[in-house]
Amino acid sequence: MIRRAVLVVLGLVWLGPTYLLLVNASRPAGSYDPTRAWAPSADFSLFENFARALESADLTQSLASTALYAIVSPLLGVIIGALAGYTIVVLRLRHGFFWFILIFGGTVFPSQMLLVPLFVGYSDAGLYDSRLGMILVYTAINVPLAAFVLRNFYSGVAFSIFEAARMDGASTWRVFWRIYLPISLSALTAVFILEFTFIWNDLIFGLTLTQTADVRPVMTAIAGLMTDVYAGTPVPVGLAAGLVVSLPTVVLFLATQRLFARGLSLGSV
Amino acid sequence: MLGRFRHGYVAPAVLLVAGLLYAPFLWTAYLSFTRYDGLEPAQWIGGHNFAKLLEDPALLTSIRNTLIWVAGTMVLPVGLGLLVAVLSYDIRGGAWFRVPFLLPYALSGAGLAMVWSPILSHDGIANRLLGVDTAFLQEEPVNTVAMLLVWTWQQLGVNMLLFVVGLQSIPKAPIEAARLDGAGSWALFRFVIWPLMRPLTAVVVGLALVASLKTFDIVWVLTQGGPGRNSETLAVTMYKETFVASDYGYGSAVAVMLTVVTGLASYLYLKRQVAR
Repeated sequence: MIRRAVLVVLGLVWLGPTYLLLVNASRPAGSYDPTRAWAPSADFSLFENFARALESADLTQSLASTALYAIVSPLLGVIIGALAGYTIVVLRLRHGFFWFILIFGGTVFPSQMLLVPLFVGYSDAGLYDSRLGMILVYTAINVPLAAFVLRNFYSGVAFSIFEAARMDGASTWRVFWRIYLPISLSALTAVFILEFTFIWNDLIFGLTLTQTADVRPVMTAIAGLMTDVYAGTPVPVGLAAGLVVSLPTVVLFLATQRLFARGLSLGSV
Repeated sequence: MLGRFRHGYVAPAVLLVAGLLYAPFLWTAYLSFTRYDGLEPAQWIGGHNFAKLLEDPALLTSIRNTLIWVAGTMVLPVGLGLLVAVLSYDIRGGAWFRVPFLLPYALSGAGLAMVWSPILSHDGIANRLLGVDTAFLQEEPVNTVAMLLVWTWQQLGVNMLLFVVGLQSIPKAPIEAARLDGAGSWALFRFVIWPLMRPLTAVVVGLALVASLKTFDIVWVLTQGGPGRNSETLAVTMYKETFVASDYGYGSAVAVMLTVVTGLASYLYLKRQVAR
């Protein structure tokens, strides 16, 4: 009984801000009043508020760019990582363990160690404030995890599959593309979702490597909008923006929950 | 049969990782020994930046705040997460009791700022609700603690979820045996459940330790390390020294320090875990 009571009290505390978010994001933009923030408004204006945020902060372009980064980079990342894992495990690359450690070692660097050279190097190479530059850096960050999970996955696949396909005359690339990639779909999806979420929510690389509204990822743009809360963005507009841009990761996760759990457990074999 | 083009297949992965992760890492390590503003060529000045680190008052504040983040993260998101997990994992409808804690996890750092700045602002809801007049995001170290509470609100859910998975995978037999022997709830937790879930706790605590040392997003979106520099963490100091003050050499030195501290902390923590 006490257990339930503690859980309910804590749960209510946790629901408080969530409630405030939902109520005030749906309130007409002009009617926010801190003294009456708890009272729901009769008018439901969540979508109008979001439309207004899209307009005022040029979020449409940012959203499109973020969607591009969050889909293309993990896609490239998992394929490149899977190919490395396949080569190391199935094709038995000489010194494979060394190459694996080299690739996986990429995960240990804190992003702070990368920022200055990326900023300077990108400026010199003309990649600063470009979509290509963002895709490249996000892809590189994705590769180590993908290689790790897929290497584990492929070491659990019977070698006879590979032998049979080669006997039938398929090239090593074709075996990878037509057999190994499809059978590891659940592991690929799990890694994809993790990376999608990471990129969608990333702040620091967007902050450092972009400048203009159409290249800048949405979270960085919203963080800028946030400073404008004092400069005139009405609270409901800011809340609506924060709420709606958080939805894609939630939807993706819920939609693929089962596949996700399966992919991770297979990856850890 | 294994193909002749094998090295070509790992090349994309190796090139990306080497070019965009290893090379920048080494470059930063080099820059930390130079004076560099991004315009003039970098000039070697030996350990000067690191000497400056030791006597920089802003860095001292930053270290103190980072320590608050690390200690606070262990107690609040991790500790409370464990509490909620233990309270809810084996009661009927436990999943429903956990929903309120999972909802905030969906919000990103920027969304988090949107929710909390109107609550914590001066004429905001928190002051009214508590009947006080505190500048939650201005005074130090109140602002760091306030942000830590916001962080707890968001992060508790994921820690809780990991603990629940661990608790549910504990074999039932030892628990039943202890109960039959008359163990109370606390004794049951302390002497049976806790030891059995140690491997998982080690992972959760280790991840939280590393993440809290690198706290950046939430501070950046709520206070940008201010007012002045009083809520900066090491990661925020690194960013500001580099991209606001254009002191790339000194910013790199802060990054190196952060890396060394993070690496050392993980090493010592892992060593202790393995030694047990």
